[in-house]
Parts: sequence; C-alpha cells; structure tokens
Amino acid sequence: MVSQTLVLDLVERAGAVATGATFTVEWRVEDSAAALETLAAWSERTGNQVVDVGDTSALLRRGRASDPLAELDPDQLPGTRLWMYTNFDCNLACDYCCVRSSPQTERRALGVDRVQQLAAEAVAAGVSELILTGGEPFLLPDIDEVVAACTAQLPTTLLTNGMLFKGNRLERLRRMDRQRLTLQISIDSATPEIHDSHRGKRSWERAVDGIRIAHEEGFRVKVAATLPAEQIHELEPFHDFLDSIGIAREDQVIRALAHRGVSETGIELTVESLIPEVTITADGVYWHPIAADHEDQLVSRELFPLKDRIDEVRARFVEHRQRADAAAAWFPCA
Amino acid sequence: MQPLLIGAVAYTPNVVTIWEGIRDYFAGTDSEMDFILFSNYGRQVDFLIDGTIDLAWNTNLAWVRTLAQTGGACKAIATRDTDTVFQTMFVARTGSGMTDLTSLRGRRLALGSKDSAQAAILPVQFLADAGLAEGDVELLRINSDVGKHGDTGRSELDALRAILDERADAAAIGINTWEAIGRDELMPGAFEVFWESPTYSHCNFTALASMPDERLQPWVDHLLAMNWENPAHRTILEMEGLKQWVLPQLEGYKSLIDAVATQGITPRW
Repeated sequence: MVSQTLVLDLVERAGAVATGATFTVEWRVEDSAAALETLAAWSERTGNQVVDVGDTSALLRRGRASDPLAELDPDQLPGTRLWMYTNFDCNLACDYCCVRSSPQTERRALGVDRVQQLAAEAVAAGVSELILTGGEPFLLPDIDEVVAACTAQLPTTLLTNGMLFKGNRLERLRRMDRQRLTLQISIDSATPEIHDSHRGKRSWERAVDGIRIAHEEGFRVKVAATLPAEQIHELEPFHDFLDSIGIAREDQVIRALAHRGVSETGIELTVESLIPEVTITADGVYWHPIAADHEDQLVSRELFPLKDRIDEVRARFVEHRQRADAAAAWFPCA
Repeated sequence: MQPLLIGAVAYTPNVVTIWEGIRDYFAGTDSEMDFILFSNYGRQVDFLIDGTIDLAWNTNLAWVRTLAQTGGACKAIATRDTDTVFQTMFVARTGSGMTDLTSLRGRRLALGSKDSAQAAILPVQFLADAGLAEGDVELLRINSDVGKHGDTGRSELDALRAILDERADAAAIGINTWEAIGRDELMPGAFEVFWESPTYSHCNFTALASMPDERLQPWVDHLLAMNWENPAHRTILEMEGLKQWVLPQLEGYKSLIDAVATQGITPRW
C-alpha cells in the first residue's frame, strides 16, 4: 500500500531544493511499511535517490549523486593496480612498519599458485599493474617464480629493502624479467642516521648497495621514502642524493608516515579517508596496503573471483563517498 | 553589443542551474545573454516594461498581463514544446463517480493559488463554460504560492491533500503536477482524472514590440537549435521540462485572455 500523503510530500520537497541537494521526509511509525514501498516506487519512477532510511524519516537526493568513481583520476580507480603481500616475515624490524613485519613474524605466504591465479584474473578484471610487497619478498625461496607469474601477465613492481642481493637470492633476482619488472627499494634519508634509526644498523649502507647491484643487473629502480610529516618540507637534499645514485625524479616516491602497525605516530588513515588500493594477502582482501594487517580494512576473506572483490571495493568506496556528501549536506556550518 | 538581459522567476533553486546553463549555451555566439532572477512575476513584468530587461520568461498569466499593460505592444518569441499542449486536470478520489464537470454541482472543489492559470483562473472558466453558475460549486481556494503563478506546484499539492483530508471532493491541477505525482500509477486507487481540459498555451519568452527583430532573431534561432540528443543540452532541457524549444502558439492564450476579462482580474499588482 503506497502512502498517498508521502508522495505529495516527496514531490513538494524535491521541488524545493536544487538538483543534487538532499531533503527529508517523515512519516508515522505505523505507516513504515507503506512508506518504504512508496520511497522505492517514487525514486525508481522519478530518478531521484534514497540516501538513507530511518524508522520514521528518510533522506533523499533530488536527482542522482555524481559518480565518485568518475570523479577520480583514471589512475586512482580502485583495481587499476593490484597489491599482493607475498609474505609478512622480514629480515628487518622497522619501528614504523605498517604491517608489523619482523624476523619473528609468521610468514603467511600467498604462494605461487594463488599469485598465478590472481595475476591471470587481474588481466581479465582490467588491472594494469601488479605490485608485490611484504615483509621482505626476497626471503621466499620461490620469489623468482612468484615474480615470473606476475610479469608473464602484467607490468610488475616488487618492493624490497634491497639488502639480500647475494648468493642464491642474487641468482633469483637475475632470473627476473628486466623488461616487465621494476624494483622499489626503501631509503628514508640522504645519510645513514635517520634511515638506520628506524630500520637498523647499517641498513642504509646495504640498501644503497642493493640499488647499485640492481642497476648493474639492468633493473629499473624506484626509491620510496617513508617520512614523518615534519620532514616532508625538507626534501631537496634528499632528492639531490637520489639523483646522485641514478634514480630518476619520477622514480623518487615520498610517502608520509602512517599511524599503523607498530608505528606510534603518523597520519591516521581510515577506510573513509583512503582511496582504496585493492590489496591481497594470504588472509584476505584489504582496502589498502597500508592496513593489510588490520581488521578494520578487511574487505573479504575470499580472494576469488578477483573481479568480484574489486567490484565490492568500488561499491564500498562509492557508498562511503556518497554518505560523506550526504553528511556534509546534513551539517552545514553556516 | 550588450548581452540580451533575460528575466526569470526563482520558484526553485534549480532555476539558478538552469539559467547558468542556458547562459553558457549562448556564450561565444553573436547573441550572448545574461539573466536576472525575480521573486514574483509582477515585478518581472514591471522591469520588462520599463526596459530593464530585454526578455521575460513569463507564465501565461504574466503574458496576458503584459498584453494588458502594454496595450498589446509586446510579442511572444519562443516557448517550450510542453507549453503548447498544457492542460488542467480535474481530479477526485478513485471511485468518486464523477464523470464530468457537472458532477461537481453541490460539491467542493479545491483550487490552487489565485494567480495560477492552470489551478485557479482557467478552472473557474471551465466551470462556467460547463453551465455551472457561481455558487453551484463550493470553491476551496488554497493560496500557497501567490506571486509565482502556481510555478512551485505547492498549492496544487495542497489541493490534493485537501481531497485526502476530506476537505474537498475534487481538485483542479496542472498536467505537470499530475505527472509529478505519477498520474494514477504511483498511488493506485488514490486519485483519478474525471475531466481534462482542452490544451492551451503556458509560458513564453516575452519582449516588448519595440525590441528589434534583428536583435531577437539570432537569439531565437540559437535557442531553437538546442538538441535533446546532445547530452550537454539535455541536462538543461530536462530540468526546464521540455524536449524542444518551439515558436509560440498564440491562439492557445485565448481561453486565459477571456477568463481574465470575465473574472475581472487586474492587469497588475
């Protein structure tokens, strides 16, 4: 039974606001069933949108909300890149690691079989780049197979601390596809002090040496630095240093320290505030690699089908953005 | 050359978006335009007659009043396709048994704002045309949005509420309001139309006769070139409630001109 007076209220209140703006309608609690039916029928017929429904009121939008996905830079569209945590154990125990990796951390390897399936499904799902991270991926005895499963499908970036390029691990590096793989090595400062204070003694020297080896082996190397917010404004000496060791400016990535994992400081990053970067671990699908060890950003325990998981992340992103827009409309400040 | 200055009444916040979109559509052409928004049609017609604005986006009543105040020295230059086939719908509760206007004898009819052609002035004329004398039908006048000539639709929604509240047996509303409530499909069993009027003309762009045609014609030509198939144009057309701008049909205003004369409605307030 459609509520007759509610239809009249809907028409009147929609007409009193601009397209894109929201408005509310109310009903008596005993009319709730009819009200819900009316809201659905009216919004479908008129192209207006139900934003939120309470017990005796609803928030609606005149017209449809803009598409948050369409407003993103194409490069930011969730699912453009696919992050995979190959493992969580690490030879370092950095004091700001966002996923709590260390030599004592359980490996939780994704495994070459799942990586192979993910890479294949990624192509079909429209992913254009694969990014492998950890933990320290070069601790895995089959990292060369894992990387090959990815580069066989898509351009791939492998994040590493660059400290393990010797012996068998150097041989595994040499087996990787130089045309399809970029290495991303972490360096936090132009001199050892700051880097070593977070990552351990002599880690800066060994990472710089790793960059040299990777270059000698013919790999493109990007450098990513994790900096506290107060250091972000003093970047030029750091860029000059990276220039001096052969890192192209476009391959110099600076990221702010996040308050995640074992880090006690840093910027707060939540599902609501982050544009998602679909991230796969052995434990499930996560919203963003910065929180791949945190339940609040777990999207699903199921990894497959990958396309469905990407669609789910996109749908949640749209929902968050539209709720935020509606909330902004609810609480004007002046 | 100065842009043509067009007046419109701000009956909904969407009017800003609509007119900014139309202004953008004319930008860079040889007939650029700007606009002024008014709170009511009375002041808009005043400003057209004193030359402050070059064109007024007028309701049919505002057009008839401009005719009266200028002694006919004005011209309608363009309109919406929907304005050439406007109608008044007489609505009652489903199953009321009403079959035509004479069914209203001895019943209560809710009318919209007194300056609404579709929901007040013309309905009274239609009753007279059907042979109903003053007093044969009890009129419940709901003046919810006077000044805007019924544009907001609020008084017509209030007239429908009067039926649901048993304060009226029927209501006279514009076909646009009938469409907005989903005709008889969204609320099956609530309302039915028992009589619909002949079509008549509604809004138009009005200019004074003294405005040179060579100044107006390029603007009209470009207006009529708006294309429903063009997504950028369609957004504006949908919001303004038309598919195509067309030339006015002046014979469609005759019923309102007659009604205004019969009812002694003043040419200005």
